[in-house]
Amino acid sequence: MTMDSRVQAYLDGEIQLDELPPELRSQAEAWDDLLGEVRQTAPAGAPLGLHSRILAGIEGRTPARNLPAWLEWLVRPRPITVSPLAAAAAAAVLLLVIARPWSWSGDDAGEVVGEVYVQFVVDAPTAETVHLAGDFNDWLPTVALNDPDGDGVWSGRVALEPGVHEYMFIIDGSDWITDPNAASFQDDGFGRRNAVLAVTSLNGT
Amino acid sequence: MGTAEPRHRSDGELVSEALKGSQPAFGELVRRYQDLLYRHAERMTGRADDAEDVVQATFIKAHRSLRTCRNPDRVGAWLFRIGSNACKDFLKGRKRASISLDEVPELPAEHGNPDDSLERTRMRGEIDRALQRLAADQREAFLLKHVEGSSYDEMSQILGVSVPALKMRVHRAREELQVLLRAYER
Repeated sequence: MTMDSRVQAYLDGEIQLDELPPELRSQAEAWDDLLGEVRQTAPAGAPLGLHSRILAGIEGRTPARNLPAWLEWLVRPRPITVSPLAAAAAAAVLLLVIARPWSWSGDDAGEVVGEVYVQFVVDAPTAETVHLAGDFNDWLPTVALNDPDGDGVWSGRVALEPGVHEYMFIIDGSDWITDPNAASFQDDGFGRRNAVLAVTSLNGT
Repeated sequence: MGTAEPRHRSDGELVSEALKGSQPAFGELVRRYQDLLYRHAERMTGRADDAEDVVQATFIKAHRSLRTCRNPDRVGAWLFRIGSNACKDFLKGRKRASISLDEVPELPAEHGNPDDSLERTRMRGEIDRALQRLAADQREAFLLKHVEGSSYDEMSQILGVSVPALKMRVHRAREELQVLLRAYER
C-alpha cells in the first residue's frame, strides 16, 4: 500500500500539518498517535546489571592486545617466513620482514625488548599517494609509502613491536583498502576487514 | 570550601584513557551508550535477553578493536554501528535457526504503564509484533528516525548509508506497518 507522499513528507518533518490538505490531516494525526505509542513502548534503557556484566566480560583485557586463539601459533618465537617478491606481481602486497632486535629505552620499557623492521609493499599502479595506517600509529595515515621507480609498486619500512598488528593501506588519501595478501584478517566493526600481521622478533622473545 | 564537581570528560578523552588500559574510562563509555544500544537491540531482536547478549557482544568487540575507532570524539556513532551490525548478525543467525517470528514474544508487559487500559496494552503488543515483521534494514531506519529522533543526516553518518536510501527504508517501513496494523485490526 502506497502512502501519500505528502504524509510521508510531514512525517519526515519537511512540511507542517497545516500544509496538508484537510483530507490528509486525519491520516497524519493518526500517524502521530501511532508513533507516540511506538516511542512509549520503547524500553527506557539497559536493565540493571548489564553494565557490570559487560565490564566483567572485558576485565583484565587491554584494547587490541588480546590475541585470538587461532593466531597464537603465529606469535611463537621463530623466524618469519618472507613472501617472495613474485607475490606482489601477482596482485597486491608483499611483506618482507627484516628483524634487528635492539634495546628499548622508552618510558614504556616494560617487557618490550626489541622492534622489528617490517617492509610493506603494495601494487597500486594508478595511485598518486599510498599511506599505511594501523594500530601502531593510532590509525593515522602517517606512514607514506614510496614508488621511486614509478612501476606502481609502493613500499615503506616501519619498526614494529613484536605482537599482532592490524593495518590498512590508504590510496590517494581517502580509499582505505585491505591487504589482500595478509595472512589473516579482522572484522573492523564496519563491515570491512583489517589486515592482520603477526610480528615475531628473532631473538626468541 | 566547596566540593569540586567531577570534570566531564569528553568521549575522545575516555577513548584515549581506555586505550592506555583504563577500565574505568571504558566503563564510563559503556554507561554513556548502553541505554541507546540496548533500546535499539531490544527493538531489533524483539527479546530482552537477546538484546542483552547483543549489547554485551558489542561492547566486548568495541573494546577489542578500540584502536580502530578513527574519530574518538564520535565514538557513540562508531559503537552504534558495531551494535547495528551485531543485531543484523544475530538476526541472520536466528533466521538460519528457523525461529519463527511468531515465537517472538510480544513486547513486553514490563515496559507498560500499569494504568494503561487493556486496549492500549493490546495495541502496543500489535505494534511490537508489526515492527518485528519489518525487514531488519527498514526496522533499523524506522527506529532511529522515530524512536531515537535522529535526522536523516545523522542516520547517514551512523549507518554509512545515503540519505535517499534511508528515506526509502523509512517510507517503506511506514507503508508496511500500515498494512500490518490494519491486518491486526481484523
